[in-house]
Amino acid sequence: MNLNTTYSEQELVALLQQRNEKAFSYLYDNYSGALYGIVNAVVTDKEVANDVLQNVFINIWRKIESYDASKGRLFTWMLNIARNAAIDELRSKGYNNALKNISLPEINEIEGAVTGPAIDDVGLKKVLGKLKGELRVLVDMSYFQGFTHEEIARSLDIPLGTVKTRIRSALTQLRTMIQ
Amino acid sequence: MNIQEYISSGITESYVLGLASDEERREFEKICAQYPEVLQARIAFELALEKQALENAINPTTELKDRIFERIGSTGKIVPLQDTSIKNTQPGALLWLKYAAAACVVLLAGSLYMNITLSNKNKKLKGSYDNTLAELNEVKKDIRVLQQNPNIKMASMKGMDISPKSYATVYWDTASHDVYLLANNLPVPPNDKQYQLWALLDGKPIDLGMLNYDLKQKKLLVRMKNAQGAEAFAITLENKGGNPTPQGAMYVMGKL
Repeated sequence: MNLNTTYSEQELVALLQQRNEKAFSYLYDNYSGALYGIVNAVVTDKEVANDVLQNVFINIWRKIESYDASKGRLFTWMLNIARNAAIDELRSKGYNNALKNISLPEINEIEGAVTGPAIDDVGLKKVLGKLKGELRVLVDMSYFQGFTHEEIARSLDIPLGTVKTRIRSALTQLRTMIQ
Repeated sequence: MNIQEYISSGITESYVLGLASDEERREFEKICAQYPEVLQARIAFELALEKQALENAINPTTELKDRIFERIGSTGKIVPLQDTSIKNTQPGALLWLKYAAAACVVLLAGSLYMNITLSNKNKKLKGSYDNTLAELNEVKKDIRVLQQNPNIKMASMKGMDISPKSYATVYWDTASHDVYLLANNLPVPPNDKQYQLWALLDGKPIDLGMLNYDLKQKKLLVRMKNAQGAEAFAITLENKGGNPTPQGAMYVMGKL
């Protein structure tokens, strides 16, 4: 097998499900950076992000049988594993405190202050920075901090329906931004 | 169902990003299987997301790959259970380190602040110490001069019942009749009162003058009025300006 081997997604999944280490190595080489990006956007601490990413790849290796191509692409599946692992790490430390600390005035502050992304924001977070203040907060809370819609509604004192509508609206905006 | 409306409702993104509820997921999967447009929209968003993520990739450290391959094992077996516990403790330990590092920074900042504060305090104390030392040396010099003089007699005056801790010393030059008073320890007098030194000769008090200085701040050894003769010395607390004969309470007394 030469170094320039590329796999179709189907081939790659099939090889991974056979526990082919070369395929796993290929997967790592091609996707670790992208997944590390999302992990970093959630946990921010480099050392912790390294450990989370390690667990992400071990989980991918272990759970590859449960990947169902009809439900989404391989990368989407991996991205969700990465995000969930990062959020689990975030939740394990000070999650409840984080929730308590969020209040509406904070939203207003952010809305007034945010004109663009912070310098260290990369990837999806950078895209997120282009959203209007309140929508940005909602996406950040749900996607990067893992709060449920119910939790967001409760902590921001906004009706659940409104939270859902606004997040959906923010996501469609995100879509046009990344396409 | 209006499919275009459904597609543009944000459900596609919500599903792909893992933000949809279980109910929404089930519904989306069903509709996806039914309507190719929905599937198309999903795949389009997935590809856009993947492209975006790949463009913004951050490369992890190179040794991470080795660590992962060590963990999955060369035979490709599923990692044994105890590895899970290791896996779970590592982020904790690192987080602990993170907190420890943060604590160190706080401690360092605190230490620097204390250093500055203490350094300032030290300077003040040093100044105050230098002054005190200078005063003490002056007194010592005076006393040495007095002690080297063979004509000097000394009377240690002990505290009376009214003030047992009081203590003062009189040096009397029998040749020149000079009298020096060392107020070793006397309580600070009220504003309208002053200490007065007496020589006692044949049971009679002779006025040797008032202590005009602030006991706390000024020189401890002061020259008083000359005494022609004395058997003992005493200090009483009198009204300001003093009295020809002692009226107030006696604080200290000592014989030659």
